[in-house]
Amino acid sequence: MKRFRHCLVVAAVLLVAASVYAGCSTPAPAEAPAAAADPPFQPIATVREVMNSVIDPSIDEVWNSVQTVVDDKGMTDHAPVTDEQWAEVRRHALVVGEAANLLLMHDRPVAHPGEPSLAPGVELPPEEIRSLIDRNPDAWSSYVLQLQDSMKLALAAIDKKDTQALFDAGEQIDTTCENCHSVFWYPNAGGPTPTAAASAR
Amino acid sequence: MKTKIILALLTAGVLCAGQSALAHHPFAAEYDAEKPVTLTGTLSRMEWVNPHSWIYIDVKQPDGTVQKWTIESSGPGAMSRRGLKKTDFVAGMSLVVKGYAGRLKPAIAIGTVGGPNDGADKQ
Repeated sequence: MKRFRHCLVVAAVLLVAASVYAGCSTPAPAEAPAAAADPPFQPIATVREVMNSVIDPSIDEVWNSVQTVVDDKGMTDHAPVTDEQWAEVRRHALVVGEAANLLLMHDRPVAHPGEPSLAPGVELPPEEIRSLIDRNPDAWSSYVLQLQDSMKLALAAIDKKDTQALFDAGEQIDTTCENCHSVFWYPNAGGPTPTAAASAR
Repeated sequence: MKTKIILALLTAGVLCAGQSALAHHPFAAEYDAEKPVTLTGTLSRMEWVNPHSWIYIDVKQPDGTVQKWTIESSGPGAMSRRGLKKTDFVAGMSLVVKGYAGRLKPAIAIGTVGGPNDGADKQ
């Protein structure tokens, strides 16, 4: 009797295990739940407006937060000191990092219809910039992601309250901006890369 | 070096700095490669800041008046790689500037600061 009861227990365990295994290996339903669709983005601003109204003002605050001024008073270093000052520069860094996502929305026009190049003959007209982006979406996305990566460096520096690291991140941010602009905004302007030019004699 | 820095505004360097100018407009949008300038003056102010440093010099004119020039220069990182330090700049120091004038405003030029690493001090 004892052996029979033991066999029943083993059988029950095996049955449960088999059920669990069967459950795990059961094929997915024929109709898997549909992935959540992206919400209907509605671009309001043009790329130019996002740059000039959102990214530029905020990145200027990040850049200007660490600097040295030499004048008749001597040399003065400026950097965030108080928690409030660090929080302020962090807000601006977040704005830039997240605003970069706005640049990945494919339906966003570069400029309003009929708006000209801001530097005719040097900077491409908006429709040509749009065409370049549409023909090179991966490159465009890559530059945007690089911008976000550089903003992550800035944010990490801010979180550590590391003034020098924030200053160094500022150069990387500029390089990222410049690399993208030289490809999509003024590819025909010529000139060496910033690195080459910096060491050129 | 402490008393005199030659600002060598070479074409290459100018193009570098110019491409990253205000709102990231290219060099040719704001500066004129056909308008080279050579300026001798005294440093009144320098801003060591990303993305570009700014140098302000007072240039004495033949009639005795002083013209205040604004020079858009390389970023601090680029200047550091050229061997320059922010402590190299002192208000009142003498500067020789070679560069290219702006298209849109008077007394504005662009360039990059020559440093010991690129031999600018040998000019």
